[in-house]
Amino acid sequence: MTGTRITLGLLGLAAAAYGALQLLDLGLDNLVVTVTWLAGGVLVHDAVVAPLTIALWFVVSRVTGRRLPGAVVVGAVVLGTVTVIAVPVLGRFGARADNPTLLDRNYVLGWAMLATLTVVVTAAVVAASRRGRGGDRGPGPGRR
Amino acid sequence: MRIPSDRDFTSTLRSPAVAARVGVWLGICFGLAFVTGLISHEAYVVHPVIPFPARPTWGYRVTQGLHVLSGTAAIPLLLVKLWTVFPKLFARPPQRLRQLAVDGLERASIAVLVAAAVFQLTTGLLNTTQWYPWGFHFRATHYAVAWVAIGALVLHIAVKLPVIRAALGGDIEDSAQDRPTATIAGPLTRRALVRSALLASGVAVLATAGSTVPALRKVSVLGVRSGGGPAGIPINKSAKAADVVATALSPDYRLVIAYDAHEMSLSRADLERLEQHTVELPIACVEGWSASGHWTGVRVRDLLDLVGAPAGRDLRVESLQPRGPFRATTLPGHFADDPLTLLALRLGGEPLAIDHGYPCRLIAPDRPGVLQTKWVGRLEVIT
Repeated sequence: MTGTRITLGLLGLAAAAYGALQLLDLGLDNLVVTVTWLAGGVLVHDAVVAPLTIALWFVVSRVTGRRLPGAVVVGAVVLGTVTVIAVPVLGRFGARADNPTLLDRNYVLGWAMLATLTVVVTAAVVAASRRGRGGDRGPGPGRR
Repeated sequence: MRIPSDRDFTSTLRSPAVAARVGVWLGICFGLAFVTGLISHEAYVVHPVIPFPARPTWGYRVTQGLHVLSGTAAIPLLLVKLWTVFPKLFARPPQRLRQLAVDGLERASIAVLVAAAVFQLTTGLLNTTQWYPWGFHFRATHYAVAWVAIGALVLHIAVKLPVIRAALGGDIEDSAQDRPTATIAGPLTRRALVRSALLASGVAVLATAGSTVPALRKVSVLGVRSGGGPAGIPINKSAKAADVVATALSPDYRLVIAYDAHEMSLSRADLERLEQHTVELPIACVEGWSASGHWTGVRVRDLLDLVGAPAGRDLRVESLQPRGPFRATTLPGHFADDPLTLLALRLGGEPLAIDHGYPCRLIAPDRPGVLQTKWVGRLEVIT
């Protein structure tokens, strides 16, 4: 395994170094802006997105005051991450008056439909699992 | 308030067992995006190492669609993966100098990996919506950072290989590799967390893929293009944005074909009198959208025969647009001679809309959309 790891490691280093050289070739101005965006991305995740997720989860579990069903977490993962992907279209930042074929949907409505669907499916799964538990007292060890 | 330590994170969900499994899928997405990205890069280069093939006609449509969709699919996976390993950021550095140096190097490589991964997914996502809030050259920078990202990823796999093998070899709920303080069960199982990340990826793909998969147009509520446009094909750059409205509509318009000292100029009516061919070819854009159309026009090879140009010569295709990086493009010889390569005058049976390149545009098989030059004013055989 050591041989594989060393080979892989050197390959990785070589590819990354090639990328760094390509980046240097694009000139100092380009490099400065790129490095700012590279560092900014890490900062936005580590100092904003991750702590906010923890804070939000803390508040939700305090407000509801008990263990949340797993399905709610699944719903939150789906809706939360897909909403991140939706930011550029929801804001329509790239829209141009001279090109009606670009960003040509009602994205707020689309997102709302997606959010509603996620909430409805999540609620249905929670209700189904509650009913299942209610009709079958004393679940066996294999049940979740 | 003290700085948190990795010991403060107690959920058993933040485990290498989850990180390794999500990581496998993330690795597949990044690998796919990297390979298809290299293909796209080759398609843009005038003389790549291996000549870019003109078949299959839908090749670039599929590879670039996969490129954008694999990047989109990676976003939920990356967010979940970063969530599971977040405690590592707060691990106390080792005391011994040697271990400290090794730890520092590993952290630096992870920082590069995370920075490059977030950068690639963010810039790629924004590019699909034509939103450019930055000052760097997108295409060249996205290409350079792709090498950094894939290199840092391969290095990361090399460093973590023993952990990955142990995690994937054991049961997902096995706590053998967990941090000592990760003892409190989460609201769902680890298996369910991995599945929810995959589900989110799937939803993200379905919600956006309609821009390139016609069958999903109604489902893709977040798709950048619904597929509408003149003659059922979207446009990327309008005639107004390219500043060609007056020259393209001018009655004095002439197409100039040049080979050495031979030069010929043709009006649109002259072009219509030449033998017409209809081909079905897609417009496939680097931004990941694509649409197929029925184009009618004159074979480029027939036009080259008018000036006696031999086969196999590269062709310089110039647009009427006064500026822009793709004002003039080079069409390699094997594309110029291809019977499917047309100077199109009509789309879907209607005269070409001005935003599609009226009076005439290039349409060739298996090429990025931006190289399918619109408002063609001059074809010059490169000698």
